[in-house]
Amino acid sequence: MTNLTNTVIQAAHHATETVAHSAEASGQNITHMMMLLVIQLAVIIIVAKVGGYLAQRFLKMPSVLGELISGMIIGPYALGAKIILPDFGPLFVEHAGFAASAELYGIATLASIILLFLAGLETDLAAFLRYSVVGSVVGLGGLLTAFIIGDLTAVLWPGNGIHDFMDPAALFLGVISVATSVGITARILAEKRKMASPEGVTILAGAVFDDVFGIVALAIVMGMAKVSLGGGEVNWGEIGIIAAKAIGFFVVVTALGLIYARKITSAIKQFKSKEIMVAICFGLAMLLAGLAEMAGLAMIIGAYIMGLALSRTDLAHEIEENLEGVYNILVPIFFCVMGMMVDFSAMKPVLAFGAVYSLLAVFAKVLGCGLPAWAMRFNARGALRIGLGMLPRGEVALIVAGIGLAAGIIDQGIFGVAIMMTVITTMLAPPLLVKSFEGGSGLRKEMAAGSDDIQSIELNFPSRDITEFLLNRFVRALRNEEFYVNRLHTDQLTYQVRKDDIMFVLIEDGSTLIINAATEHQPLVRLMLTEELLSLSDLLDATQKMEDLQSMGSGLLAGMFC
Amino acid sequence: MNLKKILTKESILPQLKAENKAAAIEELVDFLVHSGKITNRDESLKAVLGREAKMSTGMQNGIAIPHGKTDAVNQLHAVIAIKRDGVDFNAMDGEPSTIFILTLSPANRAGPHIQFLAEISKLLGSETMRTKLVQATTADEILKLLTP
Repeated sequence: MTNLTNTVIQAAHHATETVAHSAEASGQNITHMMMLLVIQLAVIIIVAKVGGYLAQRFLKMPSVLGELISGMIIGPYALGAKIILPDFGPLFVEHAGFAASAELYGIATLASIILLFLAGLETDLAAFLRYSVVGSVVGLGGLLTAFIIGDLTAVLWPGNGIHDFMDPAALFLGVISVATSVGITARILAEKRKMASPEGVTILAGAVFDDVFGIVALAIVMGMAKVSLGGGEVNWGEIGIIAAKAIGFFVVVTALGLIYARKITSAIKQFKSKEIMVAICFGLAMLLAGLAEMAGLAMIIGAYIMGLALSRTDLAHEIEENLEGVYNILVPIFFCVMGMMVDFSAMKPVLAFGAVYSLLAVFAKVLGCGLPAWAMRFNARGALRIGLGMLPRGEVALIVAGIGLAAGIIDQGIFGVAIMMTVITTMLAPPLLVKSFEGGSGLRKEMAAGSDDIQSIELNFPSRDITEFLLNRFVRALRNEEFYVNRLHTDQLTYQVRKDDIMFVLIEDGSTLIINAATEHQPLVRLMLTEELLSLSDLLDATQKMEDLQSMGSGLLAGMFC
Repeated sequence: MNLKKILTKESILPQLKAENKAAAIEELVDFLVHSGKITNRDESLKAVLGREAKMSTGMQNGIAIPHGKTDAVNQLHAVIAIKRDGVDFNAMDGEPSTIFILTLSPANRAGPHIQFLAEISKLLGSETMRTKLVQATTADEILKLLTP
């Protein structure tokens, strides 16, 4: 009996000790893991930001290029493996054939959700619908050409082990070359003041179409790849089901989002605090991202749809503005981690393939978007501008490539090819686009007279100070009328004004105040401006009654040097 | 914006009696006083006349939109009135005014006040609407035209 008791006590003691040891060990593991993660993130953030700055400042290139290259330099296949932390080993190492640890990749995934959520939010759905015919033809042309050429290049290139158009890796190479990163083009168009030109609007509308269908194409390809990797044969019937599921999810969720977005935001607005509203909207984006993944699509699709649904609400700009800080810190981590995944030794054998694939990716967009534009309303010059505007690939291509790599559909070499194509198209687009906008109209003569329901109101004042003063008063009056007024990041002082369906833009151009508003919103703008002009005259009358300014000034300065 | 939130049968005066601008504004303000919407008649009148003194609110095509901001009210109040023969309201086109929209809004409280005026102005941009309004004889008819 005593023996038995002793045995039980010993066993219990042993069990307690084991639990305590394992808790201690796992506690230490988690602490160490987090410590390593924090150090990795610190290095990534600093290096990516500095790299981005250098690319912008000295190469006059988008910061994303600098971030990618920084990642390549500090990744496990380059410097990362050589930087040794005492007691921990290398700073960055490969984890089961993958350049990032699960926790680091998790943060990069979160960044990709923010990126696509904001891309959806920034979508100008109204402009897209207005130019939907020409935009959709241009977008679809580019999409099909890029997809087919991308896929075929992989199939026809000898020695890469891809022989079939329906091979998951070939399909991925097709999808990777589809999505235009219009951010770079938009920046150039804004700098050259061509954003509102027929080419500019067509590019932006085309890019929305391209984004939406690129994402639907990704969903289809993901579905096909999953069947294929599971050992199944993909037949056309199955493709039809997968496509219907992907398009169905996209259309139904987007339609529901657009219908209920106003109701959702007006419910969220009950909280009155902007921070809470923005946080809840972001929470919803993550929720939809998770649901999309659950439905067999990619997380970024859900995030994009949530952004698209909220883009037509008056909270859109508030969300963008409030997420800007998080975006600025997290998104460079994503690009840097993508850069880290480039394995130079795996790339050597595919360099020639990468160069050909990138070159064809350029031609695919210039021809695929340019030809439909030329057939519809543009001359050769306009068509070239549109083709070049649709050229740069960026974040979506990288996310798709990352998904393919993580899922084991493409290998390190093909991943490197995707990065190479992104870098080449992104670097080529700005100088070519700037050059192409030299010269006259891009429209055919008979199409040159376009109609638009946006009208400009221009008010000239004797000095810039007065213009700015009136603009500030107008902004205050608009906020009093419960409008959301947001300053845009442009060289000229520009505000975007939104409330429900109403949207217009205020621009200070020297001593001129310009208001661009749709015809139906003109009465509101005109009435409010008149009231502000009248209040300005009140103010001028009031200054007449002020104490003599000179005596006021001497009152202020008197006694300063006593 | 939903005009029904502001406009009711009690905010419509189908036959304005006044024969001149000052009398018309007084009659419109008095209508709001009698319907119990405002209590401080003098302050309200002062606000509308003060705004009118800066610039006439007589627009084109028979429309006048006298309005004022005052602390005498704590929410937006509006009156729509019709005078078939018209009143000289120093309109921009010199024509007599036949359709009147008077609004009084709080001076220091945010809200869609001008937006209400803009919304009605948008409706009155149509000649058919203006003709129908001038021909209407009852508050019900006018309300139905403006808030179908």
